[in-house]
Amino acid sequence: MESLGNLGDGFLTILTPMNMLWVLVGALLGTAVGVLPGLGSAMAVALLLPVTFSLDPIGAFIMFAGVLFGGLFGDSTAGILMNTPGNSTAIAGSIEGHRMAKSGRAAQALATAAIGAFIGGILSSVLVVFFAPSLAELATLFGPAEYLALAVFAFVAISAVVSESVLRGLAALVIGLAIALVGVDGMSGAARFTGGLPELFDGINIVVITVGLLALGEVVAVAARRGTTEDLRVMPSTGRLWLSRREIRLAMPAWLRGTAIGVPFGIIPVGGSEVPTFLSYGTERRLGSRRADSMFGKGAIQGVAGPEAAGNATAGTAMGALLALGLPTSATAAVLLAAFRQYGLQPGPLLFERASDLVWALLASFFVAMTVLLVLNLPFAPLWAKLLKVPRHYLYSGITVFAMLGVYATSGKVLDLVLVLAIGLLGFAMRRYGLPVAPVLIGVILGPLAETEFRRAMAVSEGDPSVLVSSPITIILYLVLALGVTGLLVQRARNRRRARTPRAVSS
Amino acid sequence: MTTHPVPDTGPAAFLRRRTGLIVPLLLLVTGIVLGAGTLTMEVPANVASPGPRMFPTMVAVACVVFAVLLGVDVVRRPEPEQVTAPADGAPPTGAGTAAGNDTVATVAADTTGSDAENTLAPSRVRSNRWAVLGLVGTIAAFIALLVPLGWLLSGALLFWGVARALGSRRPVFDAFLSIAISSIVQLAFSAGLGLSLPPGILAGVL
Repeated sequence: MESLGNLGDGFLTILTPMNMLWVLVGALLGTAVGVLPGLGSAMAVALLLPVTFSLDPIGAFIMFAGVLFGGLFGDSTAGILMNTPGNSTAIAGSIEGHRMAKSGRAAQALATAAIGAFIGGILSSVLVVFFAPSLAELATLFGPAEYLALAVFAFVAISAVVSESVLRGLAALVIGLAIALVGVDGMSGAARFTGGLPELFDGINIVVITVGLLALGEVVAVAARRGTTEDLRVMPSTGRLWLSRREIRLAMPAWLRGTAIGVPFGIIPVGGSEVPTFLSYGTERRLGSRRADSMFGKGAIQGVAGPEAAGNATAGTAMGALLALGLPTSATAAVLLAAFRQYGLQPGPLLFERASDLVWALLASFFVAMTVLLVLNLPFAPLWAKLLKVPRHYLYSGITVFAMLGVYATSGKVLDLVLVLAIGLLGFAMRRYGLPVAPVLIGVILGPLAETEFRRAMAVSEGDPSVLVSSPITIILYLVLALGVTGLLVQRARNRRRARTPRAVSS
Repeated sequence: MTTHPVPDTGPAAFLRRRTGLIVPLLLLVTGIVLGAGTLTMEVPANVASPGPRMFPTMVAVACVVFAVLLGVDVVRRPEPEQVTAPADGAPPTGAGTAAGNDTVATVAADTTGSDAENTLAPSRVRSNRWAVLGLVGTIAAFIALLVPLGWLLSGALLFWGVARALGSRRPVFDAFLSIAISSIVQLAFSAGLGLSLPPGILAGVL
């Protein structure tokens, strides 16, 4: 019960008028960025990083909590009303959500999404509060070999699972690893791939990479699509704002199932919420087809409730994994890790001892942010949708201005602006040719960690590679990974064979 | 950029459906640069055994390997012949506009297909090259002018140029809007949050 006491202290820290203001500002900004098509919570955090430079760490992280979950609450709004999900994590929930909107139940769909996001987020935050300290204790047993195993797990899982083509996922990962090589090697002091430029000795800043890949890449993609028709009609948000008892009875089990599906995916590094949201959507669809009055295809409330809860549950436990293990399991977590480093903090087992007031304030702010967001989104979701009526060219030029400002404010180096443009073009090329972006970010973040831990392990063992698989934890991790990859390959081969046979009636 | 029928022979038509080769090409160049950089790296004396060269070598090899594999994949499976129709033509295909994620787009298309919304033949994404060029040019100009001109003017230019590249057709209104936006940013960040933005030629005035 020590957790509860600590959490109470956390609440005492953040329940000051000033900190509450930061939660509110973060929630507003995060929701706004999340509502915009193509921009999700990772982008919101990266864009708003410079805003927090003049805040103290606690204020900054409280604001990030608002931004992070605000992005997740916001991204379903555009998906439901316009069928242009704010982020890939919102696509699963938008399928039925948009159909609900079409049949005049937009308000109910938005409410279901908001409540689902709230339930998923709150339940997973409760789990984090109770289990993160034990996870951190477990993590103190981790040596170089274990961390290397975790990083390898993350590399393979994100490249193989998130993208349809393993080849493209791995290629994206390699791009990330290559970008991370630039800079002075921490262990030997050798300058690597800096071209002799002192500006590059510290490596390429993660903010530059995130803003380039996610924000500028999306702006270039918008420019490239100019003149192509897009269905940009915003559905009027009609219908009751509140859910009837019957609707809640339908949605409640879906919310809980979605949360249960989402929670474990926060700890497994597969790059965020795409996988759990689609798993949850598939589950609800299958369960729905057993009912005589199935609404799937016509706007089923369960199809919105499940994925939304799953997405936020994953985001919640991903924060737990980041705080306790120092391991980013999603793009958002990777950016937050960069934010921690800006303040000279290293997430991981020691964070709970060294900066325990900050950790518990951050965890407490999850609950506050979630409540604020429910209030902001439940009644006002239609208002947020008005943001989508601002002409697209103004929205995205605003984002460009903010992106360039953010990058310049972070470092004050013109070279970073050149890099962000180059990485933005790379991000566009990847989008255009179907390479996933998430493995790049994981490669950039975990690449240096993997290298350092590998060299450390080898130095300790004096060059004996068997040290890498000598502890039970590493053996289990590699076994799980091998099983998972084999299962995935078998399943894909089976799907391909099924696709090759003449198309039967689809399920 | 027109969609007149092109015979599917000749190197131009071959490459037109395989512009995706640019990604493996990029990987190959990265691999070569990394390889060359690793060979010429100045390694301090008496470094512990897996030195600073080992990991870059692995990444360089991986770059080249994936460049080849990806290149083969792109050559063998080109993009569809037909280019997506321009505005006021056919409705867009698939819902994955935002993510560009294959898995997601397939699943979404799979489930929306039953709606009989759009079951056109698969088409190649249409890219508006002029818009992209305008955008990149604007950003490049902004980068070049930021320090000499200062944030206020170059930031306004950035907003104006990007809005224009993305299809705004009200240059005069945009000019006022962009000045207003870059002024608000200057006030909020420079005066409010204390970040230093380059003053440029307006140094004395501000």
